[in-house]
Amino acid sequence: MSDKLLKIEDLVVQYITDDGIVEAVNGLNITVDRGKTLGLVGETGAGKTTTALSIMRLIPHPPGKIISGGIELDGMDLLALNEQRLEKIRGDVVSMIFQDPMTALNPVITVGDQIAEAIMIHQKVGQAQASQKAREMLEIVGIPGNRSNEYPHQFSGGMKQRVVIAIALSCNPKLLIADEPTTALDVTIQAQVLELMKSLKVKFQMGMVLITHDLGVVAEVCDDVAIMYAGRIVEQGTLEEVFTEVKHPYTEGLFNSIPNIDDRKEKLKPIRGLMSDPYNLPKGCSFCDRCDYAMPVCETEKPPKIYFSDTHFVECHLYRDQQDFKLKGGMK
Amino acid sequence: MSNKSEVIATENLIKTKKRSQSADVWRRLKKSPTAMIGLAIIVLFLFMALFAPLIADYDDEAIKMNVRERLQPPSTTHIFGTDEFGRDIFARIVWGTRISLFVGLISVSIALSIGGFLGAIAGYYGGRLDNAIMRVLDVLLAIPTILLAITIVAALGASVLNLMIAVGVSNIPGFARVVRAAVLSVKDEEFIEAARAIGANDFIIIVRHVLPNSMAPIIVFATLKVASSIMGISSLSFIGLGVQPPTPEWGSMLAGGRAYIRDYMYIVMFPGLAIVMAVLSLNLIGDGLRDALDPKLK
Amino acid sequence: MTKYILRRILMMIPVMLGVTLLVFFIISLTPGDAASMILGQEATEESIAELREEMGLNDPTIVQYVRYMGDLFQGDMGNSYATGKTVNSEIAQRFPNTFVLTVSAIFLSVLISIPIGVVSATRQYSIFDNVGMIIALVGISMPSFWTGLLLIIAFSLKLGWFPSGGMEGFISLILPAFTLAIASTASITRTTRSSMLEVIRQDYINTAKAKGVTRNVVIRKHALKNALIPAITVIGLEFGILLGGAVLTETVFSWPGIGRLMVESIQRKDTPMVLGSVIVFALAFSVVNLIIDILYAFIDPRIKSNYS
Repeated sequence: MSDKLLKIEDLVVQYITDDGIVEAVNGLNITVDRGKTLGLVGETGAGKTTTALSIMRLIPHPPGKIISGGIELDGMDLLALNEQRLEKIRGDVVSMIFQDPMTALNPVITVGDQIAEAIMIHQKVGQAQASQKAREMLEIVGIPGNRSNEYPHQFSGGMKQRVVIAIALSCNPKLLIADEPTTALDVTIQAQVLELMKSLKVKFQMGMVLITHDLGVVAEVCDDVAIMYAGRIVEQGTLEEVFTEVKHPYTEGLFNSIPNIDDRKEKLKPIRGLMSDPYNLPKGCSFCDRCDYAMPVCETEKPPKIYFSDTHFVECHLYRDQQDFKLKGGMK
Repeated sequence: MSNKSEVIATENLIKTKKRSQSADVWRRLKKSPTAMIGLAIIVLFLFMALFAPLIADYDDEAIKMNVRERLQPPSTTHIFGTDEFGRDIFARIVWGTRISLFVGLISVSIALSIGGFLGAIAGYYGGRLDNAIMRVLDVLLAIPTILLAITIVAALGASVLNLMIAVGVSNIPGFARVVRAAVLSVKDEEFIEAARAIGANDFIIIVRHVLPNSMAPIIVFATLKVASSIMGISSLSFIGLGVQPPTPEWGSMLAGGRAYIRDYMYIVMFPGLAIVMAVLSLNLIGDGLRDALDPKLK
Repeated sequence: MTKYILRRILMMIPVMLGVTLLVFFIISLTPGDAASMILGQEATEESIAELREEMGLNDPTIVQYVRYMGDLFQGDMGNSYATGKTVNSEIAQRFPNTFVLTVSAIFLSVLISIPIGVVSATRQYSIFDNVGMIIALVGISMPSFWTGLLLIIAFSLKLGWFPSGGMEGFISLILPAFTLAIASTASITRTTRSSMLEVIRQDYINTAKAKGVTRNVVIRKHALKNALIPAITVIGLEFGILLGGAVLTETVFSWPGIGRLMVESIQRKDTPMVLGSVIVFALAFSVVNLIIDILYAFIDPRIKSNYS
């Protein structure tokens, strides 16, 4: 068995609408090792959720369509599987946690039944046994098992997210995709849920793709980091590599947008401008109109992929001729 | 002084927003073939209503009995045939358009102005006033619309005026609820706060700011209600409680032709089709408008 | 749950009182004199005056209303001006017929409309969906009295399969029930479709799919139950429209229900009978709405827990 749990190669996903074609994901490459956590970081609209839904094969079609590329999960070619095979994989091999716990649970079904459903589908057990397992799952995520007969509206936002996590982990998946699992929660609850996920990751020994726009969360949980911009990975490396040797100007911009607790007088340097119109991406580097280092070549040519180590690469023209180029903004 | 200029500026802002919105809505509406078909049909009906005297002579063709020509099937002289009294069915349908559209529009106007007023103040002021108005409307809503209309006409007597009152009054609660909901949805928006902050009084706020911005659902509802009112009018006429013979009205034409369906089915065919076409066209427009105003609901 | 139902029943009482008050006053606007109607044309001035006094017609409307309500609470809705029989007996005799007709119609509509609405939504923009929705819109736009006449022409006069009117056994129920069901079928189909469309875009549908739930189960178990909540509201409203439609359908098919009784009574200026019919209709409508609200609580746990 390969040590790669998930391997996405040159994935292209588009949304074809009346107003034109949205190039949501354009040639994306990521890999996740078994038991490791990859942080997928980027701002809203970068294509993070589309990537996640592609792995689940749940891109709404129409208007969405996987145009080309490959997704390999645990040795299986996901794009070649039919719907029935996919149904067996979803919830069993790969699970997903959605962004908004307020809307992610079915309001007319008890939380216990919602957890038990996945167990009954994948583990071929009866109602009673599945319900018992569902109560155990609730206990694992820190909710008393006797609340399994309650409905989602009887739980708070943080509790709901715990239920969603319980559903996702109920069949002990090899890969968990968590799409901004804490964004919709209060700050104090965020920390609790994050802590829970961290411990469960170890307990269940699963690989994880953690989608977020929060580098703080990444530092807390992830082993590897991939920075996503306009449907592509612009920089990827281990947590340490990306956090200590920032290479891409966009990554630098993301770090500069975080307030520095040690130096409160320091001014924030937000990234100027907005993300390019996804209906009409630039010919060259997608980031060039917001980039402080932009050169003429950036507007006309797609940047090459440049490796600094086996694990750390960047897609940027700056390093094409001089590998040791240094970005000017100091690291914190 | 600056106060006033601010008011004007705010209003212009809202107006330009409105204008670009309505252009947008029209652009989307044009894309819907069904809405355009509906629009074409209703324009045709409006045309028939407007130019009825040029199309057929009222006294000669639509009213005067002509026993020698009774119950003739469709032909070149009478394209829809003649009825049990020898009157030209096409002429009667054309003149019937006037009644249906006129009564439909007037009764919806009655419902819209009274119901709209009640709904607007209930929604805007809330509290006890809201409660009182809504409880009274609950009573009206407890009686199915058409039965309420029948009861009113039964008491007042069958005439065109009473028909308008009956259909209008029975639609008041519906309009009140829709307007109230629409007002509630915009009442707490910031531009309302802004208008209040620069000293606009309640009346100005309701009429100039709240209502124009809550128009969309009201227009859709009104369009659909004209359709159901046209249906209501012909229903009442069909059971003899609406427009009285010999005045040509689609529903009463059906009632009159009922006895002859065995051998002369065209007598009930064409007036019925007229009702269906008129009601359908308005429903198509209403549906199209709703989609155009709220694209996400499609 | 019991608390919720009790609360809903209590809420019905003021509304029904309001309905009787409103209807009583509207009917009291009817011109003409009841006493002279009852006694006929040969009656003398004195006998008319005497009867007026006896019936309390000289009292102010409000006094007459209070007296009417007093009788109503004892289960007495007065006597028909035309036949002299009690309104109660007439309505008791006719009500089951209207009940059978409307309940079969609503049953028929729900049976047809929910599956079509669901399939249309899951195959949005397919031929099935487009054609179905156009038919539904046409269905809403057809007046029931006209549809009834067309059905009589086709299935009774031409094909001879069903009787054209009257009430003789199950077979005579079919045409009127279908006629009455058409409009509500169309509108329940439309509501089911649009609420299904709304529901299948919700996050929890994705959650269900992500668990590996099959497409059919997602639709049947996860989506439909949620989509039924708005659909049930419309079924309740449609029942009201259906009760109104019964007046017309019963007229077209000579179906001896309260609708036809009401129209006949209006033509005969038989006020107590009109009054009784309208009140019974409103009461039936309120009871239907009560049932709908209870159904709601069964489907939507958010309502149930508010009252438990």
